[in-house]
Amino acid sequence: MSALLSISGLHVSYKAVPAVSGVDLDVREGEVRVILGSNGAGKTTIIKAILGLVKPLKGSIRFRDQELTRLPPHRIHQGGISWVPEGRQLWGTLTVLDNLKMGAFSEPDEAAVMERIEAMFERFPRLRERRFQVAGSLSGGEQQMVAIARALVSRPKLILMDEPSLGLAPMVVRDVFALVKEINRMGISILMVEQNARQALKVADWAYLLEVGRMVESGRAAEIAAKESVREIFLGGRA
Amino acid sequence: MDLFLQQLLNGLIIGSTYAVVALGFALVFTVLRVINFAHPDIFMTGMFAGLLAGVHISDNFLVVVAAGALGAGAVGLALERAVLRPLRGKDILMTLLGTLGVAIMLQNGMAALMSPDPVAYPQALPQIPLLTGTISLSSLQVVNVTISVLILAGVSYYVRMTRYGRATRAIAERPDLASAFGVDVNRVSQISVVLASAMGGVAAVSVGLLYGSAWAFVGLLYGLKAFTCMLVAGNRYFEGVMVVSLALGVVEAMVTGYFSSSLRDAVAFFVLIVILYFRPNGLFGSYTV
Repeated sequence: MSALLSISGLHVSYKAVPAVSGVDLDVREGEVRVILGSNGAGKTTIIKAILGLVKPLKGSIRFRDQELTRLPPHRIHQGGISWVPEGRQLWGTLTVLDNLKMGAFSEPDEAAVMERIEAMFERFPRLRERRFQVAGSLSGGEQQMVAIARALVSRPKLILMDEPSLGLAPMVVRDVFALVKEINRMGISILMVEQNARQALKVADWAYLLEVGRMVESGRAAEIAAKESVREIFLGGRA
Repeated sequence: MDLFLQQLLNGLIIGSTYAVVALGFALVFTVLRVINFAHPDIFMTGMFAGLLAGVHISDNFLVVVAAGALGAGAVGLALERAVLRPLRGKDILMTLLGTLGVAIMLQNGMAALMSPDPVAYPQALPQIPLLTGTISLSSLQVVNVTISVLILAGVSYYVRMTRYGRATRAIAERPDLASAFGVDVNRVSQISVVLASAMGGVAAVSVGLLYGSAWAFVGLLYGLKAFTCMLVAGNRYFEGVMVVSLALGVVEAMVTGYFSSSLRDAVAFFVLIVILYFRPNGLFGSYTV
């Protein structure tokens, strides 16, 4: 099967400092793939390069047979890629409802957008209660629900998730990973960046290990989880 | 008491124009993170566009107002395409100097083209005294304040209730995020600059009609005060900018009525500076550069 997203030879630098040096990565239709790596390994940079928020030095990013590296971010989004950013990044001064409406900005039909948002409220009743509250006033877990719902309302083919479990209570973390599974069952592919390797490897089909801007390992999630080196670094050395 | 009511009325009328100009500053700043120093002179250009249409085409009120909107809107469009967009992402000083350069060009260009002195404005509407006696109010004052209020209400509606208005607020808070969720930031920037300019142009026409003259340097009168109102209110809530602008108009009118018109600006700016000293981000909060 051909890849939905295909990155090859990606190089990204900030000023003169290389952040990502020659990364290859694929996501196939219907898969969950995870990029593991410590702080500063370049995980978020890869996500931002896919979204068009940073311009790569060289390399190619293809999504459904279209080259993304020369497209502006709004066109990339319209092509079917959505985003759950690190630390949620909601529009804190906008209401929950307006955050969700912004998630589907590319759809001009207001009635269609409201229908999708209604479906989100069915799934996350808590958000319906809070729809007229500004998003900044919600708890961390609720904010993550808004961030995920916001990513879904545009009906994307691929969702990029940047540290979805960061800063959440352990109970909520479990919910978030269950939700990743659920979204994937809806037929949406997911590329996730995580520091919580143990949980991430449970939901992922395939995993990549990133170290200082380079891919050092890649393989089936179960195989990666079994590797001695990975367990030492990411799983605290315990089984 | 009559003096108080009279000055309150006068203050709200002048303040409503400050509010329109201040809102133009705020709209452009929040979306583009640029202080558009050319904004007051785009206001002035709208005033002269109305004047020229009134003299050469028709002195019908709607023609004059439309000319003000179109003239100022066109200058806004040109400014966005020729100066603001090419300088986006560059050093903020370059954009500041760019808009300042356009401001000087517009001012002196208009002074050379028309006159450095005030020019008589076409009488598109009759000046009818509505109230006489202890409190006076004219039809043109009512028209002036009505136009401003309609503009303010329109902008409020646009920003709160429409799809592009929502995108405007989204860009104001997190521009990268907005673009990653499908918003063409260039397009919204353009809409914002043109909208800010066109509404300034309409307000300028109503000021021209009210005082019966247009002046190439009128931007200086309104620009500095409106800009300060935006700083004092903070740019986060447009309604806050409106309230502060109206309040400034009233303070000015009261100082003029009870003390002296020569103290007007001194007192007004003193109050604004004191507020900024204690609330450097403005009364209602600001987005920063």
